[in-house]
Amino acid sequence: MAGTEHDQVEETLKRIEANKYVIGTIVVNAEGIPIRTTLDNSTTVVYAQLLRHLTMKARNTVRDLDPQNDICFLRMQTKKHNILVAPENNFLLIVIQKHVNSLRTFP
Amino acid sequence: MATSPHNKAPRMPGEERPSSRTTTISVSGIHGAHQSTRDTNSIIGFPSRKHFRVGGGSKVLEKSALQTPRQVVRVFDEEDNDVTPQPLYQAHPAAPHAKSCRLFLDEISAGSASDQTTATGSFTMPFSRSMFGSSRISSQSTIESLNEEIEDTFSKWEMPISFPDVQGKRNTVKEHVAKDMLKEVTDVYISEADSISLLDIPSTLMSVEADDTEVIMEKNNQYAELCRTRMGNNKYVDRAVQTLNGAAKNKQVQSDSNVMVDSATTVTSWDIYDALIRPEQHEEVSSREQEGAEYPGAAVDPNSGAERSASVGSTASTASTASAASSLNDGEALGSSLNTESDLQLNVLSETFQHCLLVMERSILRNTFQPELAAYRQLPVIEESQVKPGTVEKRQEDTESPRSPAVERLWAFSYERSRGRSVSSMAWNKINPDFLAVGYGELGSSEQKAGLVCCWCLTNPTWPEWDVQCDSAVTSLDFSSINPSQLAVGMRDGTIAVYKVNSQHNVSCVLSSSQCPNRHLNPVWQLRWTQQELNLTGDEMGESLFSVAADGRISRWFICSSGLDCTDLMKLKKIQHTKKKAGGTRTESVLSALTPGLCLDFHPTDSSVYLVGTWEGLIHKCSCSNNEQFLETYRKHFCPVNSIKWSPLSPGVFLSCSSDWTIQLWQQDHQNPVMGFSSTQTAVCAVDWSPKWPTVFGAVHEGQLEIWDLSSSILDPVLVQPAAAGVQMKSLLFATQTDCVLVGDSDGQVTVYQLKNLRAGGSSQVDLLEGLICSASQNSFKKHTQM
Repeated sequence: MAGTEHDQVEETLKRIEANKYVIGTIVVNAEGIPIRTTLDNSTTVVYAQLLRHLTMKARNTVRDLDPQNDICFLRMQTKKHNILVAPENNFLLIVIQKHVNSLRTFP
Repeated sequence: MATSPHNKAPRMPGEERPSSRTTTISVSGIHGAHQSTRDTNSIIGFPSRKHFRVGGGSKVLEKSALQTPRQVVRVFDEEDNDVTPQPLYQAHPAAPHAKSCRLFLDEISAGSASDQTTATGSFTMPFSRSMFGSSRISSQSTIESLNEEIEDTFSKWEMPISFPDVQGKRNTVKEHVAKDMLKEVTDVYISEADSISLLDIPSTLMSVEADDTEVIMEKNNQYAELCRTRMGNNKYVDRAVQTLNGAAKNKQVQSDSNVMVDSATTVTSWDIYDALIRPEQHEEVSSREQEGAEYPGAAVDPNSGAERSASVGSTASTASTASAASSLNDGEALGSSLNTESDLQLNVLSETFQHCLLVMERSILRNTFQPELAAYRQLPVIEESQVKPGTVEKRQEDTESPRSPAVERLWAFSYERSRGRSVSSMAWNKINPDFLAVGYGELGSSEQKAGLVCCWCLTNPTWPEWDVQCDSAVTSLDFSSINPSQLAVGMRDGTIAVYKVNSQHNVSCVLSSSQCPNRHLNPVWQLRWTQQELNLTGDEMGESLFSVAADGRISRWFICSSGLDCTDLMKLKKIQHTKKKAGGTRTESVLSALTPGLCLDFHPTDSSVYLVGTWEGLIHKCSCSNNEQFLETYRKHFCPVNSIKWSPLSPGVFLSCSSDWTIQLWQQDHQNPVMGFSSTQTAVCAVDWSPKWPTVFGAVHEGQLEIWDLSSSILDPVLVQPAAAGVQMKSLLFATQTDCVLVGDSDGQVTVYQLKNLRAGGSSQVDLLEGLICSASQNSFKKHTQM
């Protein structure tokens, strides 16, 4: 069971990394150490550090407003690309995706 | 009573004087307030106190007043204001009164003694003042006499000092209350104060007849002599003795200082909530953190200790993660082989990580497919460059001006495994309108028999939610509406399998008909889950699965102990067309008396009536309650009927399409079709009504997609979308809530097209359709009659 799950995790992660619009993928563990990345070291560390602080701050904000609430997903749309952060209790998944086309639509 | 102090007076002085002093002092504790007030009054308040002694006297008077409740001393000043000094100490009325009197008198004497020691000179002053004070008292004459006598007999401090006033007072008091006194019984308690012994050496006693009596007696005599002659004796000299202080030596001692550790934690309101509400999860997380703490990983930030306390997760994790070294680490941590640990961590993380990845993937894809998905959901697409509303309006006008209907291709569901397979059937989930099941046939060119079932979700067009390989090519599938996670799949080899989605990626085959002896042995062309209200025996039944297969049987499946079992609902017998053919040979096949059924559709409202289309082109209307006979037979097609669909909005109207290049519109009461449509000379593979517009339906030829709108034209399709090159369109499905059409093709792609500007809608169209039908039927009737 763990094996198949692990495979699926690997498979999904590879699919994400292989997406043509994804610039980079970083997986950060609970201590803030990137354990998997497709970017270079320095960029990875910077991203991991900064986004970890930001995620903590975001989580604190959400939970201070309502302790029963919790943060699911964080998405930052910047001028150049999208930064998507999926936080969990143990780790952080960061994906940087470039904009698909010039039409940026807002849901 | 009044005379009691008198009696005590003679006894008081003399030897009692020093003792009285001592006793008074010792006793002063009892009347400490009394004494101290006395002193303070005497020392401090002299100039201001006009009647100190008066107060004392009045105190005595008050004490007597306690005896005689009637007598109350009131003091008034010039303006006749009551300035009676309140006693600082209210003596208990039943308390030892006599003693208090006596002691009070002692206090007076003692007080005077103390006054004597402290401020003798001024002592006499207030007396004179008080004498001449302008205050008037009820018993002024006695006070004056008191003062005079105090002056005179000051040094004596005999009882007569105060006695006279008491006496005088008593006399006056006595006169007033002589009668009352007889009635009252007052108890007087006399007690002795505790004695304090300062030195107590008990004497040693010896018997006179002891042996060394004489020695002792001699010693005693010597001692007595010594005592007598001690005073003037030169033998004895007074000498002072002083103890010497030993030399001090300093010694220093030092102890280890306590190790101080700073510990801090940040508590937020949700930390408290976590600790209170979810202690189990707390323990889980902390246990997992324990595993994580074993890694000799280095923290990226030296300040992460404080951060961790406020970080994600529980505060209990601070203890476990604090074991990580706090040295600053740069990117080389990646290189420093965390590979093994990362694998371990991934294993630990994989359960929740999967979900995380799923969300992430969907988000990425949503970003990618944002315009298309928005169009699917019929959301307005705002262009980035458009900010001013004026231009936006213009843009809207532009889009609205071309009013002709159009088909826009949004996206296609396809992934690597589906490429090359032909899409045979598609079905929407009954509960979740974004969930689509697609059945694929075998790979086009190869002989491989395996089929594929994929479940796609709209949020991820690049990878199905789950996929299952089947033993043989899938020919039909349908979702159950009671158990929305159950999917029935019919295959080319006649097997019907029911799959159930247990969890995210866990699909299990719940039931299979492969063991059933009655199973179909030919391809199952259509499956339907239908809710039946009543069956033959009158019981209420739930949902049951109906299938039509190439062996000409329509079966109802139910769950038995060993899987699925079926009962035949109908057998499709061949019907001879002897009437129409003139002198033709019998076309009845010798091999089987049953003709393959290709499609099946249940009436939308009456679930016991269904239509079945056969290989021969006949359409039969049957009822579940009648196993033998068809209710009606519709003849028009002369090729296999590929698809039959009841209209969801117009009752009693259905469409059929067949390989004879035509689509026929029927009304169930008429034997002949009301209308027929043909456009190109290719077989029509599938036809479907639009769920929104009563007059719109779609048809799929092998080379193109056609959308017909009967309200605009009954001769030509409104929209024609040609298939991609080299690809044949195979199946069709309308989306339920949006105006999109899904088309499956022979390359394994399910393309989503959006229909725009059809200008058809509303329930009035139903009437329009019926009107068309009526007129068409009248025309055909006329044609018939004309013919």
